[in-house]
Amino acid sequence: MLQNMIDNSMKKSPWIFHINAGSCNGCDIELVSVLTPRYDAERYGFKLCGSPRQADIVVVSGPITMQSRERLRRTLAQVPEPFCVVSLGSCPRSGNVFKGSYAIDGPLEKYVHVDVSVAGCTPKPEAIIAGLAQAAELLEKKRKEARK
Amino acid sequence: MILPYLGQSFKNLFSKPVTEAFPVGDAPKAAEGYRGRLHYDPELCINCGMCMRVCAPQAITREIVPLENGDQKITFTYDMTSCTFCRMCSDFCAKKAITLTDDYLIVGSAHEDFLVTGTFIKTAPPKPKFTPEQLEAMKKAAAAKKAAAAAAAGEAEKPEEKPAAEAAAKGEE
Repeated sequence: MLQNMIDNSMKKSPWIFHINAGSCNGCDIELVSVLTPRYDAERYGFKLCGSPRQADIVVVSGPITMQSRERLRRTLAQVPEPFCVVSLGSCPRSGNVFKGSYAIDGPLEKYVHVDVSVAGCTPKPEAIIAGLAQAAELLEKKRKEARK
Repeated sequence: MILPYLGQSFKNLFSKPVTEAFPVGDAPKAAEGYRGRLHYDPELCINCGMCMRVCAPQAITREIVPLENGDQKITFTYDMTSCTFCRMCSDFCAKKAITLTDDYLIVGSAHEDFLVTGTFIKTAPPKPKFTPEQLEAMKKAAAAKKAAAAAAAGEAEKPEEKPAAEAAAKGEE
């Protein structure tokens, strides 16, 4: 019964951790605007948290620069299982206009399995909310599988 | 002092909430001129490749498969995870085969969810009736025929001339 209670509360509070892997700040601003009163993702429990150790969903933006690569790897290693990875915008999936640059070591798929991608440059906040909702559903499934 | 604020709070009591109810209801419409998911019409495309040239993130790929009867099967693939949504491809498209729609909900897990593809068959131009070699041979044959005809005419004329000349000679005598 206690486990049930915990599961239910976990379902309603998927915390987000945001990694900026060399993003131009466009996607970051849109992600923050998702939490503002107009789009208000916090009513579904999506809360931006300060430590990867508390995160359930990791949102990555940016084309993984050489400088951020090691930090990205270290941060992802600290996130407790099970967790979902959401890639924000075109950059993490392909490198966007920075494709082929010597300063880029993407795509994100090289480092971690990407569960949900939100395309757009930058995506609209509504699209980000839709992506996060999809990630939350996936997370629930992952939790159930992990429990078995 | 607090009167103006009171008025505002009274107004807010009866106004709708600012928060969009989005994941529950329908997605709100994007602004006019919004550059969302790309739409490609293969019927209009003429395979000039201009969109590939102007695409900064190289999100457009083309596959040309030659068919047995000389036609070509051409497939354009637009990768939305690579797109910057700058609308250069649409601006440069001479036939307006590419348009950017206002569909902004481009969310998915598989890579296929983000691909916009279109295929069309480019028919080969009609084959000429004769090959260049055949044409050359035909020209030669025609020239030979003409020469033969001319020769025959020359031979036919000579016998006519001869009797006339003889007659003239005889007349002189």
